[in-house]
Amino acid sequence: MRRIIIGGAALAAVAVLAAAAYGAAGSSRSVTLTLWHNYGTGGNAVATKNLVAAFQKQNPDIKINVVSQPGGNYFQLLQAAWIAHTAPDLSVQWTGLFDTKYEKQLLNLKQYFTPAELAKINGAKWSSSNFNPAQGLLVMPLENQFYMGFYNKALFKKAGVTSVPTNWTQLFAACTKLKNAGITPIVYGADPQAIGPSPYPYYDLSYIASGLFSPAQLKGLYTGSTPWTAPALVKAVSNWASMPKKGCTNSDVLTKTNILGAFMKGQAAMIVDGNWDTATLREAMGAKVAPFLPPFTDHPQHGVVQYSGDGFAVSKQSSHQKEAVQFLRFLMSPTAQHIIAAAGLIPDIRGYSATNPLANQMLAFAKSGKIAYPMIDNVIQGDVVTTGMKQLDAALGGNISAEAALKSMKQTHDALPAEQRGPVYH
Amino acid sequence: MTVQEAAAELPNARRRARRSPLAAQRQRMGILFTLPVAALIGSLLLIPIGQTFYYSFTNWDGFTSQWIGFAAYRHLFNTPEFVTVLENNAVMVLAIPIAVALPLGVAFLLNTHIRGWRFFRSVFFLPTAVSWVVIAFVARRFFDPDKQGVLRSLLDHTGLGFWHPDLLGHEHSALLAVMITFVWSVFGTNMIIFLAGMSTIDQEIYDAAKVDGAGSFTVLVRITFPLLKRFVSFAFIISLITAFSALFSLIIVMTNGGPGYGSTTLEFFIYEKAFTESNFGVGATAGVVLFVLVFAVSMPLLRLLRSDD
Repeated sequence: MRRIIIGGAALAAVAVLAAAAYGAAGSSRSVTLTLWHNYGTGGNAVATKNLVAAFQKQNPDIKINVVSQPGGNYFQLLQAAWIAHTAPDLSVQWTGLFDTKYEKQLLNLKQYFTPAELAKINGAKWSSSNFNPAQGLLVMPLENQFYMGFYNKALFKKAGVTSVPTNWTQLFAACTKLKNAGITPIVYGADPQAIGPSPYPYYDLSYIASGLFSPAQLKGLYTGSTPWTAPALVKAVSNWASMPKKGCTNSDVLTKTNILGAFMKGQAAMIVDGNWDTATLREAMGAKVAPFLPPFTDHPQHGVVQYSGDGFAVSKQSSHQKEAVQFLRFLMSPTAQHIIAAAGLIPDIRGYSATNPLANQMLAFAKSGKIAYPMIDNVIQGDVVTTGMKQLDAALGGNISAEAALKSMKQTHDALPAEQRGPVYH
Repeated sequence: MTVQEAAAELPNARRRARRSPLAAQRQRMGILFTLPVAALIGSLLLIPIGQTFYYSFTNWDGFTSQWIGFAAYRHLFNTPEFVTVLENNAVMVLAIPIAVALPLGVAFLLNTHIRGWRFFRSVFFLPTAVSWVVIAFVARRFFDPDKQGVLRSLLDHTGLGFWHPDLLGHEHSALLAVMITFVWSVFGTNMIIFLAGMSTIDQEIYDAAKVDGAGSFTVLVRITFPLLKRFVSFAFIISLITAFSALFSLIIVMTNGGPGYGSTTLEFFIYEKAFTESNFGVGATAGVVLFVLVFAVSMPLLRLLRSDD
């Protein structure tokens, strides 16, 4: 009997040890995630690299393999990977309609983040299903971005422009003074972000729209309840398109290259761009450069185009969703926010500031009661964006009227399938 | 053997030829050796072409597709910008005769072995070795209306400084700039095709013409050109296919298809629809239209060529 008891006890001990060993082996099992980004080598890429390193340090069992994909065909590659079921666990996504477009492929994060947590994220709305955080976050924003204007304080002073223009009348008056002083007021040309030779009209159109509509009314442009040919919009875009003729811009608005360089060299007094160039501008121009809200409105701007343009999402195909979500959760931590700010980006979690003075000035605008507007190209249909890029540029170049450009955008919108202009964002 | 007997024997001879073991073996081996290439072409070319035809009748967005039949084509042809795009392609056709005639004339001059003909042959052929993207950047610089623009500088230095054409900045002239660049970039290829063709013409024909008192122009029109007909047809088709389906890099860098739709060709339109807007179905539909257009223009020329042979 004693032998049996000892034997039984020994067996039980072996079983317990085996179970413990199995458990220990299970907990030390490492997981490798793959992360794709299209950031190239800029600040976002630096932030991503440092975020991954910090996350891996905190979670030694999770390794993230970072893959830098070409920016030009990033979404085509991602789409092909989804079709082939070889998609990465984590991928950089743009927000707005760019992520709802891939909603079927992205993990809805509703069950992973509480409403209180979502409330801390500036861009939660535009990163969520149907732009409603209650329906679930699709993308964890990496940074806060601004479309914004920059002006050269020294050139304003030289031309006798004593205050920053806040509406069309003041802008045209400032243009006259600058022009009389031999200074190009606003420089337009090939978008510094792109290889293509065309200006990017959506920086300006975002501010034109913010001067006319509330953020909620912007949805009307998506559904068609506010037509692209609305008289107020035609009038505002006509004002904008008349700038070259009124001497407010350089004459070669469609073909000029290196406009950022021209602005930095003092060849123009203003430029409309985004916060991603703040570090470059600050370094080149020091205290001479300051931000302003593009005054494409009849009344002083009540809004600022502040938007979380990009972030990370988890693929539904990932076999390590839990670990991938863990990385997204890490992005909200103070450690991550400091890494993001140190890389020159504007953190998207409320309560954190940027390191660049120009970016902080924009944040101050946003905090001073200005309403945050989305980048309009992220909340209108891609087909309409493409048409607008061509036709608005043509209008700015004096090839067609503003009304014709907007009519063309309306035609593109009207030709879309009904579900792409319905009450639910797709 | 009489003629009648020989005629009666002929079918038997044919039957014997068909039954020849060597011929049968050759035929089997021929099929065997052709199979890999046929399989390769079938899988890499014919299947994708077939798929494109299928998807051209759908609203494929890259993930899901729904059969919509001829509505896809109706929708495409009712799109105003598509009509503009087709017009642009029609205008592009006007560049083809120039892209053929200019190198033909220069090849004729070089073929007479004028002084420094080897140097000029190399210089004229040089653009062929340059990538389209580089050519496009050079062209942008050339047409830039700013002070750094080569064209403007040329005009300034030749007493025409009052005229500063901004070809890339206007909807109705951007395509002209693309066409000029296209003619320049295919110049070398076409010139080499013609030089190769001219080298096949018997020198004795030229000598006989000279004896008969024919001048250079007469030789070009009456001898060289007729004997080069096949090469001209070939250059025409190659240039057409290039103009319709190989200028994407040129357009995206030079004009991005604009201003407006001023320089958007069918090929560029397909890219925008499929890869910018993820409307792969529309892209496939436009792709089929492009295929049909190139086919429709090329086939009569090929038939002409075949009849000459």
